[in-house]
Formats: sequence, structure tokens, C-alpha cells
Amino acid sequence: MNEERHKGGASLSDLRRLRHQMPRWVLLLLALGVAAVIASRITHLLTMLTAAAVISYIFSSVINAFERIGIKRSAAVILLFALTAGFVIGADLIFIPDLKQEVMNAYTKFPGFSHEIRDALLSTAQRSAEKYPFIQSSIIKLVEDVFGPNGFLEKTLSASEILMQATPFIMALILVPFFVFFLLKDWPGVMKRVMDWLQPSYVETTISVIAEINILVGKYLRGLAADCFSVGILASMGLWLIGINYPIMLGIVSGVANIVPYLGPIIGCTISSLVALMQYQSLDPVVNVIILYLAIKLLDDLAIQPLMIGKSVHLHPMLLVITLIVGEKLFGIMGMIFGVPFVTAAQKTVAILLEHRRESQKRECTQRLILHRLGKPPIRPI
Amino acid sequence: MNGVESFSMVLNSKMARKYFTWALDTTREFHLRTISDVSLFKGLSRKLLRKLLIDLIEKKYSAGDAIFHEGESGKAVYVVLEGSVKIIKKTNSENKTLAVLGPGSHFGELALIGQCSRFATAIAEKDSLLLIMYKSYFDDLIRGNSAISSRILLNLAEILSNYIHRDQPS
Repeated sequence: MNEERHKGGASLSDLRRLRHQMPRWVLLLLALGVAAVIASRITHLLTMLTAAAVISYIFSSVINAFERIGIKRSAAVILLFALTAGFVIGADLIFIPDLKQEVMNAYTKFPGFSHEIRDALLSTAQRSAEKYPFIQSSIIKLVEDVFGPNGFLEKTLSASEILMQATPFIMALILVPFFVFFLLKDWPGVMKRVMDWLQPSYVETTISVIAEINILVGKYLRGLAADCFSVGILASMGLWLIGINYPIMLGIVSGVANIVPYLGPIIGCTISSLVALMQYQSLDPVVNVIILYLAIKLLDDLAIQPLMIGKSVHLHPMLLVITLIVGEKLFGIMGMIFGVPFVTAAQKTVAILLEHRRESQKRECTQRLILHRLGKPPIRPI
Repeated sequence: MNGVESFSMVLNSKMARKYFTWALDTTREFHLRTISDVSLFKGLSRKLLRKLLIDLIEKKYSAGDAIFHEGESGKAVYVVLEGSVKIIKKTNSENKTLAVLGPGSHFGELALIGQCSRFATAIAEKDSLLLIMYKSYFDDLIRGNSAISSRILLNLAEILSNYIHRDQPS
């Protein structure tokens, strides 16, 4: 029986006809929709894979450096893991005792942190009541929402919830290095197989997409890493100069948070402001911290980013905000970080494919014109 | 000689070959010898040639596969690592073989200069392994490195001048 009937009554030939009648872009949108639904179901795995891909990408230059001196890739990856383990142990023993001290101090004080912040906020609210009555009511509302009996902290800091939050983190600590190892070791082999499998006529376009994305993502990630490092150093130095506690730890937090466009500097500034508020129980150092972060942001926008990232990743501000929101909805914080380079790479890919299509149409037109002038019938595509 | 090159020499020494064979990339060493003969890369250091070998894409073509066709817009230059490639030009509905290229040869170099159309068709004569360098990668490589860019551009000028002299009637 050739015409296999489906439950709904539509035959295979009906479906085929429907497929031919539908414009390609509708099919593409449907495929993208299905991919997005599947991706949203396995976000945790995708997040780990994305993190592993980015780490592999960053470390691939180190592996390439080993290969350049004649070491086999598999041996280079083992060597890199051994060196990284050695560096982590060495850093733990020698380089970062100050940071360790800061983290330990913060950890031991952590149970009292929420009370300290609440007391600091309430005393600030009382002191500023005469000058700024509107601040007082806002602060009291904030304290109730966050630290009250039904507040945010009471809801989220229960032991079982902390354990539930920690499980994926521990899993990621084990699985991400595992993925990184195999991505670093086997990626060129995968690429080789893809290239060998490709039809010769698609090779140049595929290589052009790979090369453009590689150059773009490489520039973006290297620039982003350098940008975050600079912001982290500036924040650490600034906080140390204005006498805020835990400058190294807060600098690292600010640098890492800076990965997320727009929101990152706000997160870094908020955390540092809370520490300043706890330390001095006054709004003046908080103002200093805000001025410091504004200055860093200004310096970052005007000098560091143009120098480090340049115009490699350029998205319209509206598209950037939409990317951040959709990225956050689908993949959380990872979606916010990697949404921007992903959308830019997609934009570039579409541009290259459109150019390829335009060129093929142009070539076809020229061939038809030549055949027409020679008096031969045009060759119709099969 | 810098640190990397001297370390590389140590790695390639007899002792290293004896005890660290498992860690040494012998296939790449063989390909390195092949591309060091390519006229486009003449005068480049071994370190840079290794970089080229790592960053460029390898592809196997079966005998009879068309690598590119005459008139297509060129975006990449090809280096023959293994096998052989036939370059064909269509003249008056006749196919004329311009050259048969073996390991260590390159073709499609006009793509590096601008958005040139392919002058001829390239077909794999035997099963071949080619190294493909995309134009953007070439631009990225020579940007900011005057030593490399001047070396490759000089080689390119020499190749083009050879073409002109070859095509001139004696």
C-alpha cells in the first residue's frame, strides 16, 4: 500500500504537497521553534555544554601553541589538564592567601550578614528620614520584602533549597571539565569528518561561515575576557582606595558580573554598595562606591571596550535587550552571557548565506545570458 | 632563535623521538615538510608554517570531484597535501588541461587578492587531501604582522609575474 494513511486522515502525498506549498521561511521558523522548545527542556545540559564549549574555545589557543611545537593534540590536552591542576594547587598555596582570607571572613560572617544589612538599612533610613522622607519609606519596604518574615531570604535560604541549588553546581563541576577534555581532544576530528562529508560545492561557503564565526567569536571572547579582567582590577583598586572591605573578592565578582551586558555593572555595584553600607552604616561611602562604578563604566564604554572588543560584535540596542531577555528566559544567566555572540554569529551566518545565494543567482543569470547569445536553449535546473 | 623554536628543536631531537614518540605529531611533521615547499609560503618560519597547518582546514576529495568551477567567485586558496589536482580551462567548447598539480603545489591564489572569479576549473585527479585557506583568515593573518604580510605578498607578486612571463609569446 503506497499511500500510507495517518491517524488524522492525511496521506503522505498530502503532507509532501503541503511541504512544497509552504514557503521555506515558514518551515525554517517551525524548525527553529521546535529546536527552541527542545532546548528549553534540556537547559541545564545545554548550559553545561555551552560553558564547556567556551572554556574549550579559550583553551584551544593553548593547545594550538603546544601543537605548534610538535606535540600531539591528545598529549597536549593531558598536559594542559596537568598544568591547570598544578596551577590551581599552586595558586591555592602561594598566590591567593589574601583572597582566601577574605572569602573565609565573608563565609564565617555569612549567617549574620542579612541581619547586618537589615540593621544598616534601618539605621540609614532613620538618619535620612528628616532630609529625604521618601527614602525612608522605600528602604523600610525593601527591608520588609527582603528580610521580613515572608521576605525573599526567608523563602530561599532553607537548607533543602540550598542543597537543591548546589546539586547542579556540583554536577557541573564534574561534568564541565569532562566535556572540556573531549571537546579539546576530538573537535578537530569532528570538523574533519564534517568537511569530508560535505559536498565539494558547499565547501567554500561552509569554510567562509566557520572562518567568519571563528574570527568573530574569538575576538569577542578574548575581548570580553580582557574587558572583565580590566574592570575587575579597576574595581579592586578603587574599592581598596576608598577603604571598602574585601576589595579583591568584590573586584573578582564585579569582573565576572561584567560579562552580562548592562546588568553586570549594576550587580557589581549593588553588592559592593551593600558591603560598604554594612561596614560604615552610612550612605556616604555608598555614594562613593556608586561614583566609582559609574567612573569604571564610563571608562569601560569609552576606552576599554572599544580597545578590547572593538566593533566585532555589533547589535542594535533594541535587539541586544531582546536577546538578553529571551536568553535569560530560555537559559538563565548563561543565556544572557552567550546570547549576544550567538545572535551576532547567526546574523553573520545569514549574511554570508544570502551573499552566497546572490552570487549563485548572478552566476546562473550570466550563464543563461551567454547561452542565449550563443543561441542555445538555457539549461533548466533539475 | 626564540624559546619556542629551541624547545621545538629539543622535541625533534633523537632522544625526544626515542622516548616521547607517543606525544609527537608525526603526521603533521610530514605535512609540514610538504607545505614548506609551497611557493606561496616560501621564506616563512617553521613556527608559522605549523600555525598554518593547525588553523587551516583539511579536506579529502575523491577522484573526479570538482573542487571549484570556472567563473565562481573565489574565497579560498588550496594547497595539495596528498594526491593530485587537474586545472582545466574551457576554450571554444573544449577542455584544455592547464596543469596537473601534485603535493606541495597550490592553486586558487587569486582569491587572496580580491573578489576575483575563478579563472579555471579544478578537479581532483586522484583521491586527494587539500589544505584550504579562506580569504578572511589570510587577511586576519597578515593584518598587524608586517613580516608575514610582506613575505606572502612578495611571494604572491613573484607567482603572478611568473604567470605573466609564461603567457607572453616568446
